[in-house]
Amino acid sequence: MIDFLQTTLTSFVALIPVTLAQSLILGFVVAGIMIPFRMLSFPDLTSEGAFPLGGCVCGLALASGLGPLTAIGLALLTGFIAGCCTAFIHLRFRIHTLLAGILVMTMLYSVNLRIMGRSNLSVFGTETIFDWVPFVQPGFPLAKIIAVGLITLVIFLALNFFFTTEKGTAVRAVGANPVMAEAQGINVWAATIGGIGLAGAFSAFSGALMVQSQGFADVNMGLGILINGLAALMIGEAIVGKATVWRQLLAPFAGAMVYYQLVSLCLAAGMPPPDLKLATGAFVLLMLALPTLRAARSRQAATPRESFRE
Amino acid sequence: MLEVRAARKVFYRGQPDEKIALNGLDLTLKTGEFGVVIGSNGAGKSSMLNAISGSLSLDSGQILINGDDITALPVHKRATRIARVFQDPMLGTAASMTVAENMLLAELRSKKRTLRHGLNAKRLADYRDRLAILGLGLEERLETRVDLLSGGQRQSLSLIMAVGGSPDLLLLDEHTAALDPRTADIVMEATVRAVDALKLTTLMVTHNMQHAVDYGHRVIMLNAGRVHLEIGGEEKANVTVADLVGHFAIKTDSMLLAS
Repeated sequence: MIDFLQTTLTSFVALIPVTLAQSLILGFVVAGIMIPFRMLSFPDLTSEGAFPLGGCVCGLALASGLGPLTAIGLALLTGFIAGCCTAFIHLRFRIHTLLAGILVMTMLYSVNLRIMGRSNLSVFGTETIFDWVPFVQPGFPLAKIIAVGLITLVIFLALNFFFTTEKGTAVRAVGANPVMAEAQGINVWAATIGGIGLAGAFSAFSGALMVQSQGFADVNMGLGILINGLAALMIGEAIVGKATVWRQLLAPFAGAMVYYQLVSLCLAAGMPPPDLKLATGAFVLLMLALPTLRAARSRQAATPRESFRE
Repeated sequence: MLEVRAARKVFYRGQPDEKIALNGLDLTLKTGEFGVVIGSNGAGKSSMLNAISGSLSLDSGQILINGDDITALPVHKRATRIARVFQDPMLGTAASMTVAENMLLAELRSKKRTLRHGLNAKRLADYRDRLAILGLGLEERLETRVDLLSGGQRQSLSLIMAVGGSPDLLLLDEHTAALDPRTADIVMEATVRAVDALKLTTLMVTHNMQHAVDYGHRVIMLNAGRVHLEIGGEEKANVTVADLVGHFAIKTDSMLLAS
């Protein structure tokens, strides 16, 4: 037993830096999931397609000799367009947001394959943004942690600023009450398309960073990213809360960091990797069911006879 | 000034359940005038209000505000000139946002929204003053989420939000109907005070005949999608609830005869 704990702990600790680098990168896709769900009340699945889209676009750009920043810029642009498409499909044809997201995500799979021309593409050895971090050896987790950590900080501050400006408040109003927002002179279409587009750009950004980090792009790299992201978001909201704008914005980044360490711990403890999705799904289900379960219990406690009669 | 000219709207055209909601409705409201709209269910009150606010597009006819044709403008463009208080307190405010944020949204209704920080000290002080007029203590709860307020408080907030910035037209859509009688009176009194003080051009739909008698310069009764009767001036001052109900009765009888 002691032995088991020791080996688990050693392998977990050894993985902390790598996992941290990875989770910082994936924090952006979690932000790309949070913005539609929480800021716009627009349950959206586009990220499952926008994440590999960003990766594939970045991979192709790097492979054809473009700089790492240009590659990221192109990824951001395509991710933005993908998000806009989902929002437009929903608004124009009154198709449910989830279905609109599934449509875009499915179509993006073909698009991603077309972009790369094959299912995976190695960009190992090309210059990445992680090569620019001074004083640390490129390719090591520390360089990634510093680079992505700084980007995360800047983006978090920028988002926090935006969502408390006059425009940002208007975008949040569209999520809170679209009828009221419209009556207050807010263009609901523009806010929704812009907001979902921004979320798509975040997902694609995450994919692009992932490709630069791991050295290859793969059309299947988005598989299950949504459910992982949701799990991370829920952990983040449980830890930092969601009552104020800055807490809600911090939740995806904090949640990603904690969630991927938990996953790493499970793997270190010997959980077979194929079981991960089942475990993650069960976790998200539990988090979603918790409020209902809690309400049911408090009702029972308040009126014990009620349950007796039933 | 509000002008509705020959407004016509038909739902389910050509189907067995075709319904003429607005049948060539004409209505003029002078600047600063307070019109009270009454009529039985299905008379076209809501359709008229929705057509004016832009959430219902007309089949034909025109809507003008201060002489400008706004018939083709979408809701959010009309909102720069029209403020609306909904019947449902839930509809008029953003529940998951704070009182101050709701006030900010309303303040910028007719302005361009910039990338400057929204809630600055000057604005918060202004909101505190404006909410204090209600006497409900909302001025001390600027940071409270609106879903923690009661229906009456939310509707009062909606009202303060709507009258701020002196809109060219204020639409009140049975805005006291969902409230208990005492709260309804508080909201109604606050409405009249604000409308009088700011000389707002106001169109109020109500099912409360006492309100129709007590408030406003003119009673407008709708029936079958057009103006059936208008009572203004001296006559309005002397009208009683019984008179108004009487007009309903005549209409009902004529409907009975016709059918």
